[in-house]
Amino acid sequence: MQKNQSIEIGALLLEIGALLMSAGANTNRIRLTMRRIAKSYGYKAEYLITHRAIMLTLQNPNGDLAFNQVKQTYAQVPNFMMVSGISRLSWRIVDENLSVETVWQEIERLKLLPKYPRLIILATVALACAAFCRLGGGNFTEMLIVFLASFSGLFIKQELGKKKVNPYFGVFLASFITTMICGVIGIWYPFQHDNMAFVTSVLYLIPGIPLINSISDIMDGNSLNGIIRALNGVVISFAIASGLLIAILIFNAV
Amino acid sequence: MDWIDFFEKWIWFGVAAIGFAILFNVPKRTLIPIFIMAALGGSVKLVLLHWGDSLVLGTLLGAVLIGFLSIYAAHFKHSPPFVFAIPAVIPMVPGSYAYYTMKGIIKLSNNSNTTDFVPLLNDTITNGFKTLFILMAIAIGVFAPMLLTRRDSAKQIKMPLLKQDKK
Repeated sequence: MQKNQSIEIGALLLEIGALLMSAGANTNRIRLTMRRIAKSYGYKAEYLITHRAIMLTLQNPNGDLAFNQVKQTYAQVPNFMMVSGISRLSWRIVDENLSVETVWQEIERLKLLPKYPRLIILATVALACAAFCRLGGGNFTEMLIVFLASFSGLFIKQELGKKKVNPYFGVFLASFITTMICGVIGIWYPFQHDNMAFVTSVLYLIPGIPLINSISDIMDGNSLNGIIRALNGVVISFAIASGLLIAILIFNAV
Repeated sequence: MDWIDFFEKWIWFGVAAIGFAILFNVPKRTLIPIFIMAALGGSVKLVLLHWGDSLVLGTLLGAVLIGFLSIYAAHFKHSPPFVFAIPAVIPMVPGSYAYYTMKGIIKLSNNSNTTDFVPLLNDTITNGFKTLFILMAIAIGVFAPMLLTRRDSAKQIKMPLLKQDKK
């Protein structure tokens, strides 16, 4: 009985760690959440958290080895609803002593939580890029162009994501197509503000989560994860830049 | 400073943050705090840019403000602070400076004229370092509350003006 319980708790901790890593939490948050849950069940957890896999060793209250396993993390899809839900769940485990079965049910419920409708995601993100254009000094016609370009670009990126294209290549293609749309419209309507539409229409691709998490990971002492995240962010930036540059060279806007 | 223009930018900062918040799939209850935090952080940056003429310092202070407000918001709306902070700082990302840096690098690679080279190099390096420092200021600003209070979780940070149950 004792042995089965440790296997269940170990699997639960690994699942929570993998979900947090894929949803875009920083490494320190994953460590603290896993330690908090393990402690509330009376186990001592030691772990190695990397970008692609989590390694966990559990010791039962007597100090004997109870569980040892490695789990691959899932694909990186930012999902703050999951992070927020797991954070609340971990405090409920501490405060209310939830059973392992209840926690599994809660995790399944969090996985099935509805996301925002696709049209709303596309429209608000495109509106955000239009807002960037306005902040950078563009006028309302340029905002409309940016809205159209980002809307189609994000749509293409999502479709490429469904077809399991390499994510960096997907970012490159999305950036290229977005700026091409801007450029083609720009032939009939020359931009007045030094190609502000070109710059701001690709901003929905910026790797904000990897770059900010990399600094916080490095400051927490998780330097290896920080460097991996920073590299990830730099490669995404490079993919955006190359798509943008090819379009700029085609339209000779330099 | 033109106040109508200022208020308009206030709204656009919020709209940009909301777009990214929805892209990152935040819980619905956090959307209004994100809008307000992004708008306030953006206005701090604009005010400092207008009176202090320092973009990096303005961004740093704006990001620090967002970082501290995110702790308040985390207590009120029961979500981790970075769920609020990351979408709210994204409108401050220096997209146009990154673009000018890249544009400068392409121009430099095509340039064979010695007299144009030095001013171009000057501009490109200035823009590049501005991009780098602004990005670092944003990340450090978001992280500032955790650095300054030296706590593991936002639940342990005692905020003034806020009633808390003692643990």
